Amino acid sequence: MKKLLISLTLLISIAEAYDFNPQMQKYMNDLKTEAKKANPEFKGFDYSRGEKIFTSKHVGKRGKLISCVTCHTSDFSKNGENISTGKVIDPLSPTTNADRFVKVKDVKKWLRRNFKDVYVREGSAQEKGDVVIYIVNKK
Amino acid sequence: MKTLLIIAIVLTGSLMASPNEHRDDNYRSSSYYENERGEYRDRDDRKGYSKVGVAPIRNAFYKIECGSCHFAYQPGLLPEKSWVKLMSNLENHFQTDASLEAEENKRILNYLVYNSAEKFRDYKISRKIDDSIRRDETPIAVSDTRYFKKEHRKLRRDMVEQKEVKSIANCMACHKTADKGSYEERYINIPNYGKYEND
Ligand code: HEC
Ligand code: HEC
Ligand code: HEC
Repeated sequence: MKKLLISLTLLISIAEAYDFNPQMQKYMNDLKTEAKKANPEFKGFDYSRGEKIFTSKHVGKRGKLISCVTCHTSDFSKNGENISTGKVIDPLSPTTNADRFVKVKDVKKWLRRNFKDVYVREGSAQEKGDVVIYIVNKK
Repeated sequence: MKTLLIIAIVLTGSLMASPNEHRDDNYRSSSYYENERGEYRDRDDRKGYSKVGVAPIRNAFYKIECGSCHFAYQPGLLPEKSWVKLMSNLENHFQTDASLEAEENKRILNYLVYNSAEKFRDYKISRKIDDSIRRDETPIAVSDTRYFKKEHRKLRRDMVEQKEVKSIANCMACHKTADKGSYEERYINIPNYGKYEND
């Protein structure tokens, strides 16, 4: 139990430790403020909540069961494939792909679109923060 | 103030669009007509164009934004009214969300309208597509136009449905030079079927 707790705290501190560039850090802080406003109990973004958002399946915009994994796979160091068009998607991991999580504009745009495709609604500030923390820290 | 802002945005949009996007200002209005069976005809099929294919894309912003999920279709593949309709509902774009910020949308629409099929009637494909669309229809897919359907009527289902192609909208899978605006027969290579021979 104690071990689990330690590893959990460790995980959380790793999760918070990813080094965003200044504009991305500001975006994450803004999401945090918004998440707190919506939920006073909110403590911080959470890797495992993010994992669930990313991997769980839902009836998406096409009326079929999909998840974020469907297009991005669960190995973020590898290419994904857009299931609607067949086009290759570059890796999602910022470690493999230096273009990821660099421009707030891109991150906002794709989170907006992709949540709509999978959840048929926009993501909340907390959901967006959780899922970003999951992606950037996943090993 | 608000009007000023809008004017400023529109101005910047057209300024950004103008330098390297040439447009033939002497384009003629559509010479489309229909026979009694509802088939379309070109008025002057043979001598109406001087270039094959469609005009290539010279706008980097368009290429990135509209090329992130699929091959970036050339503006000359559809007429203005089709682009206007397509760009008015990017939230529901072929069952996916492709929404843009209002300012980005305006910039892209501007580029598309400025370079749409009827503005490039000196290109064979633009001319033929433009001529094939009736006044009362506004297709938003190139693959829904009469000209396109006619050209691809001989394709078998299995040629399109195989995993290397997946969809008829995946032009690059068969037209190896589609990204250069070139759709000529000699550059067609259907995966697993090889060079296309017209019989
Ligand atoms: C239908 C396919 C599809 C699905 C499903 C999908 N995505 Fe994406 N995603 C894309 C495409 C396409 C891009 C942009 C491609 C590129 O930039 O190379 C992208 C880009 C992204 C980015 C990149 C941001 C950056 O900095 O470049 C993030 C983050 C992202 N997606 C998260 C998600 C999340 C979270 C989900 C689930 C809610 C999801 N995606 C589901 C297709 C998809
Ligand atoms: C989020 C992904 C995405 C983005 C971004 C996107 N599209 Fe699409 N587009 C699709 C999908 C999915 C289809 C359907 C493909 C199919 O039927 O195989 C499609 C189809 C099309 C078609 C019809 C192709 C045909 O002839 O069948 C056109 C034209 C088109 N898109 C134009 C655009 C333009 C212009 C933009 C930029 C404003 C754009 N798309 C951005 C996903 C996207
Ligand atoms: C599965 C393969 C395949 C796909 C995908 C495909 N085409 Fe074709 N296309 C062909 C073949 C084969 C022909 C030749 C038909 C003939 O000559 O009888 C052709 C002919 C054409 C022509 C006529 C060329 C000429 O000069 O006569 C145009 C234009 C064209 N295609 C555009 C497109 C566009 C745009 C797309 C994507 C929206 C597309 N095609 C997708 C196989 C394909």
